[in-house]
Amino acid sequence: MKAKKYLPFIPVFVAYLALFLIGETVSGIWQLIAMLAFYCALGQAFNLFMGMTGYVDFGYVAFLGVGTYGMAITISKLYSHGLGFGLIAIGFALAIVMSVLLSLAVGAVALRLRGAYFAIATIGVNEGFRYLIEGAKLWNGSEGIIFSGPLRMAFGRQTATVLTTFAADVFVFIIALAAAFITLVYMRGKVGYALTALREDEDAAKVMGINVTKYKIIAFITSAALAGLLGASAWALKLTYVYPPDVFEITYTVEAIIIVLLGGAGTLLGPIVGGLVYGLSKYLLAIILPGFQLLIFAPVIIFIIVTFPEGLVGFVKLKTRGTWLENYIV
Amino acid sequence: MAKRLFSVLTCLVFLFILGVGGAGAVTDGKIVIGHPACLSGKFAKAGEQATGGIKAIVKWVNEVYGGVSVGGKKLKLEYKYYDCESKKESVTSLLERLITVDKVDFTFAPYSSGLTLAGAPIAEKYGVIYMDHGGASDKIFKQGFTYIVQTIGPGSRYHEGTLDMLHKYAPNDKKLALVYEDSEFARAVMDGAREHAKKLGYEIVYEATYPKGVSDLTPLLSALKAKKPDIIIGGGHFVDGQLFNRQLADLDINPKALSLIAAATLPAFYDALGNLAEGVMGPSHWEYGVTYSEKAAKKAGLEWIGPSQDEFVKLFKEAVGKDIIPDYHAAEAGAAVLALVKGIEKAGSLDQDKVRKALGELKFMSFYGTWDIDETGKQVGHSMVDVQWQNGKRVIVWPEDAATGKLVYPMPTFAEKAKGKKALPK
Repeated sequence: MKAKKYLPFIPVFVAYLALFLIGETVSGIWQLIAMLAFYCALGQAFNLFMGMTGYVDFGYVAFLGVGTYGMAITISKLYSHGLGFGLIAIGFALAIVMSVLLSLAVGAVALRLRGAYFAIATIGVNEGFRYLIEGAKLWNGSEGIIFSGPLRMAFGRQTATVLTTFAADVFVFIIALAAAFITLVYMRGKVGYALTALREDEDAAKVMGINVTKYKIIAFITSAALAGLLGASAWALKLTYVYPPDVFEITYTVEAIIIVLLGGAGTLLGPIVGGLVYGLSKYLLAIILPGFQLLIFAPVIIFIIVTFPEGLVGFVKLKTRGTWLENYIV
Repeated sequence: MAKRLFSVLTCLVFLFILGVGGAGAVTDGKIVIGHPACLSGKFAKAGEQATGGIKAIVKWVNEVYGGVSVGGKKLKLEYKYYDCESKKESVTSLLERLITVDKVDFTFAPYSSGLTLAGAPIAEKYGVIYMDHGGASDKIFKQGFTYIVQTIGPGSRYHEGTLDMLHKYAPNDKKLALVYEDSEFARAVMDGAREHAKKLGYEIVYEATYPKGVSDLTPLLSALKAKKPDIIIGGGHFVDGQLFNRQLADLDINPKALSLIAAATLPAFYDALGNLAEGVMGPSHWEYGVTYSEKAAKKAGLEWIGPSQDEFVKLFKEAVGKDIIPDYHAAEAGAAVLALVKGIEKAGSLDQDKVRKALGELKFMSFYGTWDIDETGKQVGHSMVDVQWQNGKRVIVWPEDAATGKLVYPMPTFAEKAKGKKALPK
């Protein structure tokens, strides 16, 4: 019976595996696959909080930003210590620590607020943090950190290239899978029930004796830690530079929201479908109509959202209710 | 299940179309340049200029120059670009597509130091030359990349020419103040200026940065006033540059020379400040009106290639389909194409390493000025031009090869300017 709980993980795993294998076998599209995986992972990590609680965090990209800094600081400071791959591990660890600390600080204040007030409170976090870095000259301030050279010195030219153009993307896949798995564990456990209750009616949940703040914070921190890891791999390790305005860019939060809503908020498969639809259509339009893609892209998004208000996966989920498929599509 | 299968299958088909369908750009008989351009997003304006500049020069090479001579054959250039939306994710994926699916021969970087860095590891991985036309950071060239080649002058050199010029005109005015915006780019300019000023023997009497989006510079400028500098250089963006100038006037601080990056070269600067902008200078990579020519090249003992400035402007207008004057973004992107053409011809081959080596040894002049790189690929030959507002017009005062007029030094005081005095050469 216990195993049955985790059946929905099978389609998720298969989807990511298929994506990975396509990238591996078809030559010349690995970077495209990496971009798609990034969007899926972004949606997956964002969904963990937004989908389950119904709270929209407009400052989400700040967690990716500090994660990026975690990796960047580690590599640029410790590259000469001969730590080998321990360097990368420390980078990831620091990314988690930093994003969790930030999420605690933000969560402690903002999570006491509800709905639109929460959204407004978080909008400032991202911009505020960026100005803090630039104004207080934290971590090199506005000059940013460029660590292509240090990475090369630590690992050698060959390995550094593999790290930036392949391994970093593999980490993104792993993060996406981890995010999906944690989402499923939460969904099937006490956290999920509590969050579902609070999403539907926070006051009623409170009356029933659920410590709503506790569960909100759990989801918030988990989601933030995953974002930190994502920043550390997809932005730091892959691109080997960080400038404050490039990472604390609100567009990414908006993209995360679109991906989650396209696929279906609170569903497990939603972010994958949303990420693929979003990433692929943007990429194809950029190739077919360079410069005009956003004109076409916007109506497409509106069309999908209007036709499938529950998201694409949400729609399929409703249709398959009561059939044997219901065990797989969550 | 059928539905899910269907959607997964659609995705698969989609991906295979991407991988296979787009392939087959024939590279025989022509040389293809690939470019993940910034046509939308925050760098859209610079991106439009850059693609326009590249198209203009590609047309010139094909129609006027007759193609690129490689091994006794004349090969036509072809320009293939996508829109990266000024975003790092798109840069890496589109650049790889250009290299592996479209099989372009050479690549161009997108705009800005950040996006240029984002694509660099991909170009390195495939060993393809990556022409940097819009990433000015010096740090790009300290990372050990092999295939990146810069055409834009590095940030550290923005104010070098200005200082050289002032040193020549007024060797005894030694008190210099550096006041820049706190941004990645302006700081690089400041570091370069400080170093160069020390070399020339300037005494730096005041040095400060102000935050982005500053709305009042009075406290900073009051401190500056006490130091009585002869020369003030600084700036960051348009709005703060304008504020800088206005508040200098308010506080009646009268340096003999004032040079502001980014702001002072724009026509809008004079529109906003009117007579207060008289005599104010700014460095620019290139300005319409520079007088680099075949003759000047001969005088300097350099090879000349490319259209004259007016030909370039005409081709540029055709390429963008609008009646706008190209700015330096267009000129530097165009000049990067010319460098590539020269490099290929010099190498006599399309082999990346041979062309890269040839580019390393190349030195030439075009409408954009001198082009020469050091061993890391950093641009060292290009000098910035300095423009000064004289009687409501932008006059190029430095370097002498490109100058259209003489420097007015010292510039009129703000009190004189408020009464309508113009900066006119004696």
